[in-house]
Amino acid sequence: MPAATQEISETLIRDNINRAVCDVFKTMLHRSVVLSNSQVTGPHENNPLAPHGEDISVRPQVVGTVGFLGEVNGLIYLYFEGAFATHCTCHMLGMTEAEVDEAGDEVINDAIGEITNMTVGSFKNGLSDHGYPCRLTIPSILRGRNFCIEPISDSQRFVYTFETEGQRLVADILLKCGE
Amino acid sequence: MRNKILTVDDSKTVRIIVKKAFKTYDCEILEAANGVEGLALAAKSMPDLILLDVTMPVMDGVEMLTKLKADPQLKGIPVMMLTAEGGRDHVLKIAKIGVRDYIVKPFEEDVLIEKAGRIIDLKPLTDGPAKARSLTDPATILVVEDKPAIIQQIQEGLKHTPWKVIGAATQGEAIDFCTKTPPDLAIVSLSLPEESAFALFRLMRTNVRTKYTPVFGLVVKTETNTVQQAQTVGFTTVITKPIDVSDLESRIAKAMNLDTSLRYFGIEDGCFLVKMPEHCTPAVLAEIATYLKPKLTEAVDSGLNKAIINVQALKSLHMGVIKQLVTAMQLCKDTGVNFTLVGNNQLMSECKGFEETRSWAFHETLEEAKASFTKAPATPALATA
Repeated sequence: MPAATQEISETLIRDNINRAVCDVFKTMLHRSVVLSNSQVTGPHENNPLAPHGEDISVRPQVVGTVGFLGEVNGLIYLYFEGAFATHCTCHMLGMTEAEVDEAGDEVINDAIGEITNMTVGSFKNGLSDHGYPCRLTIPSILRGRNFCIEPISDSQRFVYTFETEGQRLVADILLKCGE
Repeated sequence: MRNKILTVDDSKTVRIIVKKAFKTYDCEILEAANGVEGLALAAKSMPDLILLDVTMPVMDGVEMLTKLKADPQLKGIPVMMLTAEGGRDHVLKIAKIGVRDYIVKPFEEDVLIEKAGRIIDLKPLTDGPAKARSLTDPATILVVEDKPAIIQQIQEGLKHTPWKVIGAATQGEAIDFCTKTPPDLAIVSLSLPEESAFALFRLMRTNVRTKYTPVFGLVVKTETNTVQQAQTVGFTTVITKPIDVSDLESRIAKAMNLDTSLRYFGIEDGCFLVKMPEHCTPAVLAEIATYLKPKLTEAVDSGLNKAIINVQALKSLHMGVIKQLVTAMQLCKDTGVNFTLVGNNQLMSECKGFEETRSWAFHETLEEAKASFTKAPATPALATA
């Protein structure tokens, strides 16, 4: 039976997502990342792209999503601004910006999907090692601007903002409350 | 034979990273986006290694691995997991089905290469048909020796070359260096304490980046047992102390497979030059013989029709040298190249003593030889050696 989210401490979630994001960015993108803001809220109480009042959702966003199912169920959204998503793709694939532009959105989607997959994989491996084994789902991508992701009511939302060399990355974690 | 590596991952990004990681190695990368495609390609191509993801659509990695291991034709193909699924229980479950290694994403390309290199024989790609490295190209030579004077002697002896000689006093220092910058060649003192030269040699041979690096042993001549031990384990060659630096230089050039033709051939003022060194050992003559025809052909092809065979530096004449000179002159004749000889007094008088060389005429200087082409041709008579 899935664990109730209340059983899993915010510290465990925060430590795991911080470790996962830092590890993936350092290994795959050679960038240092710093956690700058944490918020724990109900599902509808927070816009993850406006943690400091400044709503950046008006800019183009590429959002990677991977879920995890098992002793704990949930979804993680990683929000990248469009230009930052292109930059990360170039670095990971050893391509120039012109080459990535020519290859089209599909290449960026795949790269951001993989970064999300690695991040969520690392996060859920941490949960598994703390007694909450679960499995990953296949990644998917959301693109656009001025949109808002609204989860169903019985979930808890953890929003973490990271800063990396002048760029912002938001990890939006939704955990389904256990029965 | 070229290694084939099959990467099975639904992420094109991962497949591109895998290709990028192996691009400097002589291997072919095959790609599949799920387990079904992976099994089909494995059966068709019989890869030497499969890199397998777990979470994929259509058929996941665990199912593909189970089917692969149940197939008598395919079960022997080594599989290395490359996946974000790294929970303890998951890893144990997959390990029981049978995998050679397990890499949890995110991953360093170097780690992937190192682990793959433990399973298959990964050979670095040479620069292909492009021109071979020559004596003028830079190279890094690592000297592992606890006696600084020896390192200094090698550095001094090779300072006229473009090679950078780096000293390391211990096995640990040498490993650190090799990890950061694999050298082009290593010279390891066999008298390092606790047989660490042999331990270092084994480590270099198990690391994919130094697997094919030439490694010379360095030891006092009288230590015959150590020399034999080094030869048995596979050291490229053994250099004995006291070090003959010019011999060391030749052996380094040979071990690094350098184009040494610059030592003996050149083009000056529109003339093709063949230069015999002071001591023409059998090894030197063999080198000259290897390059002579292709170099002369290259010169003729570029429009040259004059050649100077310069033996001024030569200390003494012997049958090997005579044969080589006769061959050079014959090749010039065959290709329609006018040629002349430059020699020293001792050599000129030695030439009178051999039937084959009695009629050879020499110029005393290179300038005189060059000038002779503008006058009437004075090609020496060619005798048969």
